[in-house]
Amino acid sequence: MAILSLKDVKKNFGITEIIRGVSLDIVEGEKHAIIGPNGAGKSTLFHLISGRYNVTAGSICFKGQQIENKPPYEIARMGLARSFQVTNIFQRMSVFENIRCALFWSKGYGYSFWHLLGQQTELNDEAMHVLDQIGLADRAKFPSGELAYAELRALELGVAISSGSELIMLDEPVAGMSHSEAQKAVELIRKITEGKTLIMVEHDMNIIFDVADRISVLVYGEIIATDEPTKIRANSKVQEAYLGEVHSA
Amino acid sequence: MLEVFIFATLNGLVTGFLLFMLASGLTLIFSMMGVLNFAHASFYMLGAYFAYSLSLYFGFWGGLIFAPLIVGVLGALVERYGLRKVHASGHVAELVFTFGLAFLIEEAIQFFWGRDTKNYQTPDLLDFPLFTLFGQEFSAYRGFMMAISIAIFIALYYVLTKSRVGIIIQAAITHPQTVSNLGHNVPLIFMGVFGMGTALAGLAGVIAGPVLTTFPGMAAVLGSIVFVIVVIGGLGSLAGAFIASLLIGLLQSYAIASDVGMPDLLNLLGISFDRSHPLNDLWTMNLPQIAPVLPYLLLVLVLIFRPTGLLGKREE
Amino acid sequence: MALLKKSSIWIAFLIALLGLPLVFDSILAISILNQMVIAIVFALSYNMLLGQGGMLSFGHAVYFGLGGFLSVHALILIEFETMVFSILWIPLIGGLFGLLAGIFIGSFSTHKAGTVFAMISLGIGELIAASSLIFSSFFGGEAGISGDRTFGPMFFGFDFAQNIEIYYVAAVWAFIATLFMYLFTQTPAGRMANAVRDNPERAEFIGYSSRKVRFISFCASGLFAGIAGGLFALNYEFITEENLNAATSGRVLLMAYIGGLGYFIGPIIGAVVLTLMNSLLSNYSELWMLYLGIMFLLTVMYLPRGFAGFIMMHQIAWIRGNMKLLIKPYIITAIPALLFTLCAIALIEMSHIEDEVFHYLGLELNPASPITWIVILAVAGGAFYAVKRSLVQLNDAWETANAIPKEEEA
Ligand SMILES: Nc1ncnc2c1ncn2[C@@H]1O[C@H](COP(=O)(O)OP(=O)(O)OP(=O)(O)O)[C@@H](O)[C@H]1O
Ligand SMILES: [Mg+2]
Repeated sequence: MAILSLKDVKKNFGITEIIRGVSLDIVEGEKHAIIGPNGAGKSTLFHLISGRYNVTAGSICFKGQQIENKPPYEIARMGLARSFQVTNIFQRMSVFENIRCALFWSKGYGYSFWHLLGQQTELNDEAMHVLDQIGLADRAKFPSGELAYAELRALELGVAISSGSELIMLDEPVAGMSHSEAQKAVELIRKITEGKTLIMVEHDMNIIFDVADRISVLVYGEIIATDEPTKIRANSKVQEAYLGEVHSA
Repeated sequence: MLEVFIFATLNGLVTGFLLFMLASGLTLIFSMMGVLNFAHASFYMLGAYFAYSLSLYFGFWGGLIFAPLIVGVLGALVERYGLRKVHASGHVAELVFTFGLAFLIEEAIQFFWGRDTKNYQTPDLLDFPLFTLFGQEFSAYRGFMMAISIAIFIALYYVLTKSRVGIIIQAAITHPQTVSNLGHNVPLIFMGVFGMGTALAGLAGVIAGPVLTTFPGMAAVLGSIVFVIVVIGGLGSLAGAFIASLLIGLLQSYAIASDVGMPDLLNLLGISFDRSHPLNDLWTMNLPQIAPVLPYLLLVLVLIFRPTGLLGKREE
Repeated sequence: MALLKKSSIWIAFLIALLGLPLVFDSILAISILNQMVIAIVFALSYNMLLGQGGMLSFGHAVYFGLGGFLSVHALILIEFETMVFSILWIPLIGGLFGLLAGIFIGSFSTHKAGTVFAMISLGIGELIAASSLIFSSFFGGEAGISGDRTFGPMFFGFDFAQNIEIYYVAAVWAFIATLFMYLFTQTPAGRMANAVRDNPERAEFIGYSSRKVRFISFCASGLFAGIAGGLFALNYEFITEENLNAATSGRVLLMAYIGGLGYFIGPIIGAVVLTLMNSLLSNYSELWMLYLGIMFLLTVMYLPRGFAGFIMMHQIAWIRGNMKLLIKPYIITAIPALLFTLCAIALIEMSHIEDEVFHYLGLELNPASPITWIVILAVAGGAFYAVKRSLVQLNDAWETANAIPKEEEA
């Protein structure tokens, strides 16, 4: 069963076509990686799925419902969570508050102005639990704008995963981390997304072959191949368009 | 009827061009630094006061030349020692800073010049009717105001589109980093533009002072209208500011000159209300009465239906 | 335990509110206290917009003023016995009307924060202020409208003719309003207001419509501004166009900003300080607005987080037990700084004064004599130099006091 399916999705900025007819089915529970050279349109594709941009043409179905051109908050409520390539958090709030805010909707608080947060033990415990998982428990009270880079990336990840959504989309979650930090982050991602669907943009091939069940290769706004990691590695078109470039670089 | 229309048009144009002199500086400053200068009309007021004081010694023409220069230098100093410091704290802080500056300038003017209206007069040289139409005079001074404003408009257009400085300024608006990498001193350009914008406002004050009266509230009278103009025109768009200036100038002028109102409309529709009706004020309202409200009404409508303004491009 | 600590602050606040008139019981003091509690509620409601929700408003007086106008109308209705209820409930009427106005205006103005919101608020503020002069049967034109609070049913024998009686009413209302505004910050809607202030885009990806979050804060802020307007109506028994125009909107921005936007206590500090300055300084100098303007600009430039921010800056030094390192340098800087300020004020006043003698701090100065000027200028210059010198030391002391201790670094 496809949890997410894109049909001939197109996106233009002005007259430039950035996404040029992408069709893709993501199976429930799979770990799917999207790779492609810089500027291929990977982030743009994420923005289209998550509702940040409207599509120019085509349709996107999530859990059987059309979601293209819906506002991001409606899509998020349906159970789609995402992180950003450029860290995008609530910088003047504490680390703990960031995570707790990300939990509100899924815990059913909505726009409530009658629940006092101090009394919501279950919510607060859950937020602390997420902080434990991402290794920021000792930073709980810290203003998030003053975190170190790797910690910020961990928080970015935490905000994305804390809502417990079924579909999680991560845009280069470990970019810029040191090798050991990246290793830890990957472990975390694996643990958190167990039993869930994951779509991840990543440049590091080792990580991708480690985590992904299937890979899609996006080049110049088009998906040129979608397959299992070993087959992608062997695919000559991919080697020519992408892997070759990486190896030579 | 025709004469009313012609004079309303002429007066509307005079006001419109004057407003543009303020709006152009405000727009330039906004496009450069992303900050709406709340104190812009205060520099206009400073222009009028400086020109008044100078005119006591050097006559009107001395004031006309030197007052805008003084205001421009003051503006540049404000940018250098005030705004630049606040810049680090973000846009809200900048806006609040210029808001405070407007407050301070008004107080400072009362401190130095007092609270009363200054007897700032049009020069004798221009104290004659330019022409007489249907027995009504159009003063030479108003013609002079219009001429100066149009000259400024043309000069500004020329400087911005044809000259080297103008091209650097335009580039600095969109790509400050690149311009700076090319070896231009961007902070200096900012200071220059702020100085020039405030000098223009000062000049507007100099020529408006004698007709619109020179008193400590003159900034408040025009201040929010100029804001309205740059927002309606589209933040950062000079052409938009120009259209909006004329639009507001004419709109207000026509509204004041007209004598239609709700009673006429109701008559036309054949409805009548008792004078004791609770909404009596609404049924007896007329156009001259609501003329001051029109710009703000227009502003709110434009912002709701077209938040980028008439010709603006910026989403945020 | 934490609850006890928190509620003890509130009990202290209540005791302070109710106890102040026992200490300061002159007519002037009561009138200042009245202004103060009104200003506190108003400034806090403004902070809900700007400090907590990131919406810069130049038209917040609209909700205050409309609430006030409706309250005066309610007083009139009570007076003519069209309605019969105790005037104790008047602030609630103001609040409800502020809320209604907030719901209506917020429904189209909260799409965006930033410049667009600021401009809409400015436009609406001017629009309503100007219209209020047109619709004179409701707003009473330039003169405004007035009522009388002594009608209506008595409350345990009080008819509220005295200002002190109204003070207790206002203080209780202010306490309730402050408490509820604080509690609002502790709810999901209040927290999301902070989140939307920081990053409206990301808020949408965790399930919230930024617009709706803003709208809720906006309405709540209108409600409390309306309550403040109702308190104003009760206290002064009249209201004019001036109470909903740009000047009043500007004043509340000033208060909240000088006090410190990021902190709940900030606007309270700002309201207290500005009301005191307003009432006390205006007795001594007609130039107090000029001083206020200078103070405001200096605050924006050097204390971008206001007085509250300045106090909170010392948190780290306090926790590390290093405050004692700062006391001496602070005093050393403060003395010449105070001297300089006094000299500057003397110079400003002297250039303005028309009398022969200028009475200042128990001195009799002669503004006509150049010697007076030279002496004061010299003292000011010396003081300025001393401040510059001592600032260096203060800076060093600050660094030491805030430095991370060795063991923590490791
Ligand atoms: N809002 C926009 N307006 C115009 N062009 C855009 C916009 N956003 C992205 N682009 C362009 O679309 C192309 C794809 O960008 P995108 O960020 O999706 O690439 P990417 O595959 O994520 O690259 P990277 O690996 O560097 O993150 C780029 O050429 C970029 O310049
Ligand atoms: Mg990308």
